[in-house]
This record gives sequence, C-alpha cells and structure tokens, in this order.
Amino acid sequence: MITIDMLCYYSRLRYMNAMEKFTYAVLTLLFCVVSRSLAMAILVLAVNGILTVKKGGIPFSRYGHYLMIPLAFLILSTLAVIVNISPTPFDAFALPVGGSYITASYASIHKGVQMILTALASVSCLYFLSFNTPMTDILSVLKRLHCPDLLVELMLLIYRYIFVLLGISFSISLSQDSRLGNKDFRTSMRSFGTMVSVLFVRAMARSGALYDAMEARCYDGRLQVLDEQYPPKRKEILWIIFFESLLLIFTIWSRVK
Amino acid sequence: MNETPILRAENIYYSYDNEKSHSLNGLSLEIFRGRKVAFMGANGSGKSTFFLCCNGINRPSKGTLYYCGEPYDYSRKGLLRLRSKVGIIFQDPDDQLFSASVYQEISFGILNLGVPPEEARKEVEQVIDKLEITPFRHKPAHALSGGQKKQVSIADILVMHPDIIILDEPAAALDPKHTILVNKIVDQLTEDGITVLMSTHDVDYALEWADEIVLLHEGQVLMHGSPLDVFTDRQVLEKTNLAQPAVLQLFESLCKKGILDASLPLPRDLRTLEGYIENIQTSDQTHSKTIKRR
Repeated sequence: MITIDMLCYYSRLRYMNAMEKFTYAVLTLLFCVVSRSLAMAILVLAVNGILTVKKGGIPFSRYGHYLMIPLAFLILSTLAVIVNISPTPFDAFALPVGGSYITASYASIHKGVQMILTALASVSCLYFLSFNTPMTDILSVLKRLHCPDLLVELMLLIYRYIFVLLGISFSISLSQDSRLGNKDFRTSMRSFGTMVSVLFVRAMARSGALYDAMEARCYDGRLQVLDEQYPPKRKEILWIIFFESLLLIFTIWSRVK
Repeated sequence: MNETPILRAENIYYSYDNEKSHSLNGLSLEIFRGRKVAFMGANGSGKSTFFLCCNGINRPSKGTLYYCGEPYDYSRKGLLRLRSKVGIIFQDPDDQLFSASVYQEISFGILNLGVPPEEARKEVEQVIDKLEITPFRHKPAHALSGGQKKQVSIADILVMHPDIIILDEPAAALDPKHTILVNKIVDQLTEDGITVLMSTHDVDYALEWADEIVLLHEGQVLMHGSPLDVFTDRQVLEKTNLAQPAVLQLFESLCKKGILDASLPLPRDLRTLEGYIENIQTSDQTHSKTIKRR
C-alpha cells in the first residue's frame, strides 16, 4: 500500500539482527552530524548507498528517488544561507541589483554544500534503517533500550491501525467517486468532510472492538509480545565496530584540526 | 444426562442501551463437552452478544452463566481463568490483529497466561506449523489476504489451548479455498477434544458439520436440537428466515416423485444423497439388462 513501508519486507538485510542495524544507523548518524565534514558525508553516503542497494537489494532508482525528496528541500533552504543581499560584492559571484548586490562568498558556498551533504548523509542513515528493518523490529529494539512501554505499545498499535484506517478511507473515497462524489470542487470538499467524520466514528468503533478482542485474550494492561529472534553475527558486528571506529577517529581528527 | 454441561446459560438478559431494548432476552441453554454447536439466526438475533457473554466481555444484567457447573466469577482473577478456557475468534480479523507482526500477534495470548517466554516460543512455533501459517509468517498483517488473517486470528486463540473455541461467522468474506481450509481447521479442533461453538448463515454447512443447532430469535433460544430436527421444522425455519438446506429440499422432491424411498434416513450432505441416487441407477441398469436378456 505504501511503498516505503513495503520495501523493508523485501530487503535482503531484513533478517539481520535489528539491534546491529539500529546501532550502525544511529552511531553513523551521530558522527556525521558531529563532524560535519564533507569527506565524511560523502563516505557515509556511499557506504549507505552500497549497503541499501547492493546488499539490501532495494532498486537504485527507488533509493535515488527517495533521496531526491529531501534534496530538493535542502537546496531551497541552503540557498537562503549561501546567497546574501549586501551593499558590497563577495568573492564568488555578485549580481548588481539596484544599489546592492545578490552575492555569495566561496566560504559560504563551501559551507552550504557541506550542510547539504551532511544532511543527506544523515537522511541516508535513517533510510538504511527504515528500508531494511520492519517497524515491529525497530520497536523491539526501542523496548530493549528501555524506551517507556506506553510509548512502544502506542507505536505498535498506531503502526498497525494506520493501514486499517487507510484501507477504510480508501474504500470510502472509492465509493464516493463511484457516485460522482468528486465531480467538482464543492462536492469533493463535502465528500472529504463526510469521509473524515465517518472515519473518526469508525476509528472509535474499531478501538472498542479491538479492546474487547484483547480483553478476550486476557489482556492485563501490558502488551506483552514475543519477537522473532535473528541472532547477531560476529562478522557483521566486527565490521560495524571497524567502520564506526574509523568514523570516530575521523571525527576527533576533524574536530581537533 | 449425568454429565455437567461445560457451558450453561440460565435465563440471561443483556442490553446495550440501559434496558431499553434487550439483545438477549432470557436465553437459556446447555452445551456439553466436545460437541460441535452451530448458532443460527437472523442478524441481530443475539449470536455475537451471547458469544461475548460466554467470554465474560459482556456481563448479563440478569441470569447466570456456568462454566463446568461453576457460576461465572467476574473478579479480575476469575475472568482471566475463564478467558483462558473460553476463546473467541472475532468475525473481522482486523478487530483482533493488533500487531503488524504475525509472530508478535500469536504470542500475545499465551504470554498473558503467564507462560514463560521460552515455552511460549515453542507453542507459537507449533501453532504456526499446525495452521500452515509458515509461508506468510514474515509478512506484515496489512499485506495478508482475508483468509490468511483468519488463519492468524485462529492461531491467536488456539495457542492458548482453550476448552471451548467460539467462532463468529468464520466463513464471512472468505473465498472457497480458505473456507475449506478454515473448515478443516475447525474439524481438527474437534478432534483435539475442543468444544466448538460457531455462528453461521450457511445452512448446508451447518447441516453437515454440526452435532447440535441452536436457533436464536430475538435474544432467545427458539429451538435447540439435532440439525435434522431443526431443518425439517418448517415453522421454525420460516420464523427465522432460514432456507431449508439444498440437500433436504432435493431429497424431499426426489421422494415426492417416487424416485427415492422416503423411508431412507435423511441425508446430511450431498455425498450421501449422491450415494442414494447412484444406488437407484445401478438397480435401473440391472433392470434394463434383465429386459435385454429377455
């Protein structure tokens, strides 16, 4: 239904231990943000690309497409940082407009590119996690990291019910379409309004039914579940340690410098 | 019978809207261990309401339910004990499946019974194997077909090893292949000694499958008896808007035409009726052979 959600179920890295993937993604993200180094961003971007596309088997076009989404947004926002309106021209370029210049310096361009790449590399870390790990696995990692039970249980239920409610809303709007419910702006606004209200009522009814069904299975206020276990592999752990220490050294070096 | 019924309802009343109208209106019945009981009746006749009462979700405003002769205990502990014995499989799996992971989903009930995780893991694996869930066990719940969701929702309950399993219209919205699969699972349950209560609108299946039929009408038991008794009672069928099973209709018209002998035992499925018909054909053939010989 949602492609970004379906990807992880087909990934070849899906059955890798979730804790490993989580640790890798979070540490890499951390180093990326702390060091803010251009070289490091490129390295991380490349490694994540190879892992997701080559190892995980996610089609490159799809991966590229998803990276483009934040890229467009990033370029627009960094443009504001790079380009200045100033009475004196800077060294990179300057366009005279009236009494002042639209201008930028080499230093600010360097900074802008660095920002874009760092942000993109950070996004690629999160993509690595979400393209290769099903939500339920991520939640079990959060649980093991002692994230509050309430939060994890809520996320578990919300994740499941996003799809149930999405399915309902889809069939409602389909039936509205088939009765010309979207023939012009006025009717489509009205149809949308009724759909939202019906969806709300249905969601309430669903939650009641779900509670009954959970009670029927001896629900005692704690959502206890077992997770499937994919034991960690020594080789993978060694690689992660190796890569992260590399990044750590690099980060320290770039900070000290 | 000297045996205590595994489930007994004594004159129970239940209302969803503060006694203005009753969904259950003085319902009484007895169910014995190991039986296959089909609940039939129009929509709103109280089938689902009664099922929720059996599981202790709905508490009757009047009347008493008994499990193995003991009246229902609605304390927290009593309810847990009851629900570990009486499992209910809801009509819409989307109301029941709360987790996107099949494995998590199935493990929920058994963990609530306080079974240690290692043992629970074994049980979950067993039930996944038994109900043929393995091919899609790694799929998320939202990518499963209706029939697969049904299999998981049965596994949810089966893993808890209840004595009674209640199925609320298990065949609703299933394709023929999955209907057969679910029916096969239900037969397995009976073989394992589980008492099965099932609501259904399929008269043909009820006639073939059930040991007993409970006909509900406006929150009361209209008739409780063997499938053949119920399905030959035209008055009762008419009152509940049920059609007579096709096999019985066919048998009757064949008897009327004098093709079949009306003294034959009533057939409960198509196979038996086909057997009857086959027997005439062979006797006809021998008849024609004797004619030719002459």
